[in-house]
Amino acid sequence: MEDILANVNHVAVKFGAEYSETRAQKLYKTMLTLKEGRVEAAKQGIENGVALRVLVNGAWGFASVGSLDAETLTSAVSDACKMAKTASSRLKMPIKLAETKTVEDRVHIRPKKEPSTILMEDKINTALSVNKATLSYDKRVKSCTIDYLDLTGTNYFANSEGTRIKQDKLYVWSRVTATAESKGVFTFSREEIGSTAGYEVFDAEPPEVIGETAAKRAIEQLDAKPPKGGKSPVVLGPNVVGVFVHEAFGHLAEADLALSGGVLPNNLGKKIGSDLVTFYDDGTIDGAFGSFKYDDEGVPAQKTLLIKDGVVTGLMHNRETAQKFNAEPTGNARAEDFRVEPIIRMRNTFMAPRDHSLEELVEDVRSGYYFKSFRGGQANLDGTFQVGIQEGYEIVNGEIGEPVRNASISGNTLETLLKVDAVGKDFKLWPGRCGKGQTAFICDGGPHIRVKEVIVGGSA
Amino acid sequence: MAVLEKDQVLHLAENAVGIALKKGAAEAEAYVYEGQATNVGIERGQITKSNRIIDRGVGIRVAVNKAVGFAYTNIIEDQSAVEDTVLKALSAARASKPDQDWNGLPEKKLYATAEKTYDRKILSLRSEGLVDIASSMLDAAVSVDKRVFPIEGGAGAAYLSSAIANSNGVAAFDRGTIMECSVAAVAKEKNRVTPVCFEFNAERTYSVDPAWVGKEAARLAVSALETKQIKTETTKLILTQFALQELLYFTLINAVKADNVQRNQSPFKGRIGEKVASENVTIYDDGLFPGGLRTWAFDGEGFPQQKTALIEKGILRGFLYDNYAAKKEGLTSTGNASRAGYLSTPSIEATNFHITSGNKTPDQLMNELDDGLIIYYLQGAHSSNPVSGEFSVVATPAWKIRKGEIAHATRGVMLAGNIFEVLKNVSVVAGNERKMGQLIAPWILVENVRVIGK
Repeated sequence: MEDILANVNHVAVKFGAEYSETRAQKLYKTMLTLKEGRVEAAKQGIENGVALRVLVNGAWGFASVGSLDAETLTSAVSDACKMAKTASSRLKMPIKLAETKTVEDRVHIRPKKEPSTILMEDKINTALSVNKATLSYDKRVKSCTIDYLDLTGTNYFANSEGTRIKQDKLYVWSRVTATAESKGVFTFSREEIGSTAGYEVFDAEPPEVIGETAAKRAIEQLDAKPPKGGKSPVVLGPNVVGVFVHEAFGHLAEADLALSGGVLPNNLGKKIGSDLVTFYDDGTIDGAFGSFKYDDEGVPAQKTLLIKDGVVTGLMHNRETAQKFNAEPTGNARAEDFRVEPIIRMRNTFMAPRDHSLEELVEDVRSGYYFKSFRGGQANLDGTFQVGIQEGYEIVNGEIGEPVRNASISGNTLETLLKVDAVGKDFKLWPGRCGKGQTAFICDGGPHIRVKEVIVGGSA
Repeated sequence: MAVLEKDQVLHLAENAVGIALKKGAAEAEAYVYEGQATNVGIERGQITKSNRIIDRGVGIRVAVNKAVGFAYTNIIEDQSAVEDTVLKALSAARASKPDQDWNGLPEKKLYATAEKTYDRKILSLRSEGLVDIASSMLDAAVSVDKRVFPIEGGAGAAYLSSAIANSNGVAAFDRGTIMECSVAAVAKEKNRVTPVCFEFNAERTYSVDPAWVGKEAARLAVSALETKQIKTETTKLILTQFALQELLYFTLINAVKADNVQRNQSPFKGRIGEKVASENVTIYDDGLFPGGLRTWAFDGEGFPQQKTALIEKGILRGFLYDNYAAKKEGLTSTGNASRAGYLSTPSIEATNFHITSGNKTPDQLMNELDDGLIIYYLQGAHSSNPVSGEFSVVATPAWKIRKGEIAHATRGVMLAGNIFEVLKNVSVVAGNERKMGQLIAPWILVENVRVIGK
C-alpha cells in the first residue's frame, strides 16, 4: 500500500506539483441504534478509499476516490493537478507550507479489548443494559435512544517529502438520550462516552451508570423552572467549562479562523483573560477521544499551550497557517475520512485547574446559577459565544438550590475571560464531537469555575 | 469520469437482493448510491482550491426472523466484496433481536416524475466554469465596500443517483443534479470585525446568481459594522429563512415525525385536528416540489415521495411516516424515509418542508413593524430542547427596525421561548419564498418573543 501511495506522489511531482500527499484508509465500523430496547438495526460497514492532495502553483487540488487501485489513483492525481492549476489562475497569494521533519513510522494501538473481537451479541447486550438502567429509573421516562459506534482500521500516509506513516485507528463511542414527560412537561437528557483506548471504556463507565445519569437528569428537569433572562454570576461545572473553552476560545485559536478575521491574531502575547485562565489543546493524552500520534499532514500531535495566566501564547496550526504565522505546525490538521481535506481541528482542549473547592466557588454567590451540563454550543468569529445548558440550578445565598431548565449562556469571549474570578481544583475531560463542516472526535474539560457575569438566556 | 448507468446500478442492486435471499434472508433490500461532486473553494478573499469527490457504495438491509441487519461497502466493482457485505448484513441480523413491530419492506408502487431536478449542463461543469462563478461572486462582494472580507465560500456542482431493489419487487432508479455557490463574509474596520454574514444560492438546474450572493453577503456584513445595544423586552420579530431553518429543524420538524409521536416524544401526540398554530400557518411536506432541493421520485426505501399536509390554517393535519412507522399504525408511508447515502439505514426526515406564502412583500412586512427586530443568523439552535420545543439562542448580528425601516444592527441578542408558542404568534406571512436546505419558506412576522439585550 505504502509503495502505491509513494508512487502516486511521484506522478504528481511529474505533473508539476510542488507538494503531494496521499492518504489511504481501510476502515471497519460497527453501529447500533436501539429505541426502548428494540434493536432498530445491527450495522456493519467497510470503507476503503484514498485522498490525494497536491499543491500546484500555490493552489490546492484534491481528489477522493473509493478505490485502492493504482491505475485509478494515477488518473485521479492527474485530475487533482489539473484542478489545482485551474484554481491557481486567479491566485494573489500563493499557499506555502511550513517545513516539518520527515517521518517513517508504524503506529500500533494495543487495546485490552479490541472492539472488532467483541461479538455483536455482546455489544447489543451492553446497549440493552444502558437501556434498562434508563427506562427502569422512573416510569415518567418515556423513551430511550442508544447509538453505538466502533471504528477500527488503518490509515496510510505518504507525501512527496518522504514521510511514510502507517497508523492504526480505533474509536469507541456511545450516546444515550432519554426523554421524560409528566403533566404536559417534556424533558430531554443526553449522556455520551468516547475513547481511543478500546472497548474497556465500558469498564470505566459502566452501562448502568450511563443510563441512570441520563434518566435522573430527565426526571429532575420535570420540576425545573425557566431561568430569568439577563446578566448573572455563574458557577460552571467541568462539562460546561469544557464546551466554553472549546467554543468561546478554542475556535478563535484555530489559525485558519484567526486569519479569517478572528479577534486573536491582534492579541498574541497580550493579556486577554484573568490570571486564572490557562488553556491547552493536547493531542497526546492516552486513550482520550481526541488523541492521535500523527495528524493528517503527517505532523506529530503535541500538547499546545494556548493561553497561560491570561496571556495568549499560541494558536493551533496546520502546515499552511504555521508558514503564514512563522510558527511550528502543531499537529491539528485532521480529516474526517478520505472524502475530505484535512482542516485545523481541536483535539483535547481544556482549562488547567487551580485551588478552589466547589463549595468555595458557590458560597460567595448571592444570586446566580450553577450550570452543570451542556447541550450544544456555538461560536462566532467576533467572539460571540453561546452554550446551551441541559442541567442547571439556581444559586441562592451561597447554596445550590432548585433546578432550572432550557437555559443558555452567552457573551463575548474577550470580555468573559477577564471575568473568570475563581477556578476549582477538580478536573474532568468529556468526549464530544465537533462540527466544522466535518465531524471530529474531541474531548474538552477542566475544573469548576466561577464567572462574575454572563448573559443567561431564559424566558422568565 | 463517467457516471454509472441506470442498468448497471439496478443490476447491482437486484443482484445483491438475489444473493441475500439465496443465503437465507427472509427479506432483502439493496440501495446503491453514487455521488460525484466538483467544487472550487474560496479562503480569505481568494480562490485557493478545487476538489473532486467520487463516492459510491451499496447498503444492504436484510430481515431474518423479524430481526434486521444492515451492512455497507464502498467497494462495488468487486462481486466478492458485495457478497461479503450481504453475509455481514445477515450475520448482523442473526446476532440481533427480533422486532415484533417489523412488518416487512415496502411493496412495489408507481412513481411520479421528479420535475426540474436534473440538468445536463450541471453534469458537464468543470473546475474552470466553477472558478468563473466563484470569481464573479467574490468580485461582487468586494465591489460593495472595501471593508468587506470574504472569509470562505465557493461554488460546486454535483450529480447524485440512487437505485433501490427489494424482495417485494421494488426496482427503481433516480438521478439528479445540484449546483450552488456560497460566501461567508465579515466587514473589518480598524480593530473591529463583524459577526459572519452568509449568503448562498442552491438550485437543481443551472440557474444560480453568484453576483447576487456576493452582494447580499457584503451588504449584510457592512450594515453590521455599526451596532447599538438593545434592551431586554418582549417584542415583535421578523424571522428570515436562515433563522426559521435553524429553529424548525431542531424543534417543530421533530414533533411531526411519526416515530417521535409514537414514542411519546412529541407534544403533537393525539392532537390531529386541533389548532396548534395561528391560522396564518400552513405547512406541507412536499417531496415532489418542482426543483426542490429534496425532490426525488422515491425515498430511501423506494416509496414514492408525495405532498403531505402537516398544518393547514393552524390545524394539525398529519405526520411524516416511513414504512415501518406507518405499518405500525396500519397506515401507508408518506415517503419520508431518508438515508445518508449508502452509509445508513433509513430514518424519518422531512423532504421539502414548505411553509406556504402570503402575499405581502418584504417591505410591506417591515412596514407592519413600528418597533422590533429582523433576525437572520442564530447561534445555538441545536441546543434547543428537541422534545419540548424550548429554545434559548443568540441572534448575531440582528437588526433593529423602527417605523418600518432598519434603524441599526445589534449583536449578541438572546432569544428565548418555545417554538410551539411562536407558531401561535405568527401574525403575518410574507410572499418572498426561497429554498434553503429542506425548508421552503417566506419571511414571517412573530409577536411576543422574549429578547434579552445586554
